[in-house]
Amino acid sequence: MRKNRTLIFFFMAPTVLCLLLMYVYPVCRTVLMSFFRVESLTASTDTWTFNGVDNYIKIFHNASFKTSMSNMMLIWLVGGVITLSISMLMAVILTSGIRGKKFFRAAIYLPNIISAVALATMWVQYIFNYDYGLLNQLVTLLGFDKIRWLGTDGKLWAMLAAFTFGSVGYYMLIYISGIEGIPRDMYEAATLDGASKPAQFFQITLPLLKGIIKTSITFWSINAATFFLWSKMFSPVQTEGSTVVPVIYLYDTVFGGKGVIERDAGAGAAVGVVLAVIIVAVYFVMNRLLKEEDLEY
Amino acid sequence: MYKERINWKKEARLLPGYIVVVLWVLFTAVMLGWILAASFSTSKEIFTGKVLEFASGFHWENYVTAWRTQNVSVFFGNSLLYSFVSCAGVLAISAPAAYVLSRWNFHGSRAIRLGLLIAMSVPAIMIIMPLYTLAVQWKMKGRILLIVLYIFMRVPYTTIYLVDFFSTLSRSYEEAAAIDGCSPAKTFWVIMLPLVQPAVVTVTIFNFLSVWNEFFMALIFTSTKEMTPVGVGLLQIVNSMKYTGNYGGMFAAVIIVFLPTFLLYIFLSEKIIAGVTGGGVKG
Repeated sequence: MRKNRTLIFFFMAPTVLCLLLMYVYPVCRTVLMSFFRVESLTASTDTWTFNGVDNYIKIFHNASFKTSMSNMMLIWLVGGVITLSISMLMAVILTSGIRGKKFFRAAIYLPNIISAVALATMWVQYIFNYDYGLLNQLVTLLGFDKIRWLGTDGKLWAMLAAFTFGSVGYYMLIYISGIEGIPRDMYEAATLDGASKPAQFFQITLPLLKGIIKTSITFWSINAATFFLWSKMFSPVQTEGSTVVPVIYLYDTVFGGKGVIERDAGAGAAVGVVLAVIIVAVYFVMNRLLKEEDLEY
Repeated sequence: MYKERINWKKEARLLPGYIVVVLWVLFTAVMLGWILAASFSTSKEIFTGKVLEFASGFHWENYVTAWRTQNVSVFFGNSLLYSFVSCAGVLAISAPAAYVLSRWNFHGSRAIRLGLLIAMSVPAIMIIMPLYTLAVQWKMKGRILLIVLYIFMRVPYTTIYLVDFFSTLSRSYEEAAAIDGCSPAKTFWVIMLPLVQPAVVTVTIFNFLSVWNEFFMALIFTSTKEMTPVGVGLLQIVNSMKYTGNYGGMFAAVIIVFLPTFLLYIFLSEKIIAGVTGGGVKG
């Protein structure tokens, strides 16, 4: 087929424009901004003053940012282990030959389809509600005193539980498609050799799913690093130490939150760069791990 | 045809699995059911735990309050507008690009492919600040700003998704069209694009869900009530709850926001689930 330069130009131009305008230019400018003293986003570039890595030093000395990083690590580690384990459990159950597989799969994935704002509202205003919430009704039924689920101590865990509930379906789908890619005869042979179901899971399923598990860890890491919505919904008016995450900190320093006196777009950009570096590092590490062992079956 | 007989021994062995998934789904159903019931109840009934009794009947006025007084009608209309216009706009930009990328190698085509792949995983926080500056400089605001952002937000994913499908089409279609004197551009819109319709439908469903549920950009770029979509609108309703005390109305708003994507899912769950694991997720 003849190459038609006019066609190529007119068909590609909007996409290239989108790439430059929406991604290339903003990413470069954010990185640049993180090395300058920039007060507000609307300040013209003439007022920018170069200050090296001062923005980075500033955020890493900020108590709120440090809290947000440690919250992020908790969400990543604890939330990750719990979410990915439950997702794997659900995937194994749904591929074990139970009836109504399609229905259960669709029902467990459902929370991913709902607006996360609506889902978070359901959890905050119903499940965790002190006066009439589901959990406190169960607690009362068992004869205990009502619990303040959204008190300062428990809020992060409450948020994490709700987030986990919303995320399980997605990772479950990934695992199901992985498990269904494993040839059935491997399990049949193992059964003939007398291997129990748990042994089959640890000896066959898990090792063969290594690649997919690594992919899911990468996705989870990105979700943890860019965590924002759930934190906003659990502390909607004022940012709280119990639920603050880096993106919330960035939002407050750049766009202004309650109790933020001084806005600092440069520091905000530095937060963005730190998170982007974390994500790139995760990609890199996971790709390295992936390449080392390529399983064929 | 033999009817499959229930193998009780096998089912008994699977019992623990059944219990786990049934409990999980039951929890989901209880939550959604209670929210639905609460949306028809008064605040007093909600607080005294009498939601499921409907002692004072169904309070449809909660929906009327939410829709009119709490501006859900505005939010809902905006979200519909954003979703539909963005979906169409993304296709208009991405489909031609995906077609060209699948057909020819040209100067920079590899760079563009790579750029699209990277753009797909660029987190919003890395681009949001300069975009804000640009919007102020170019005096772009209101609904048009969010629509443009949403279109550009979905272009990388949509283009990458469609390239694979265009690659599977035989070149004989274009050759036949060229012999009949059909111009290359017309060949694309009239012959090639309809051929990838199933892929277009799937990717549009995902674009729709993504725009309808988008929150971060909407929070940053909406300055007035008139341009607020459902996600940010619902947050505002929840925040004003302290002053209005209208819990029934709030739950009605939750149901209204929840319903469109839920209905879409009821009819298209198989297609959506196949799309999640089919596109992009590889071990």
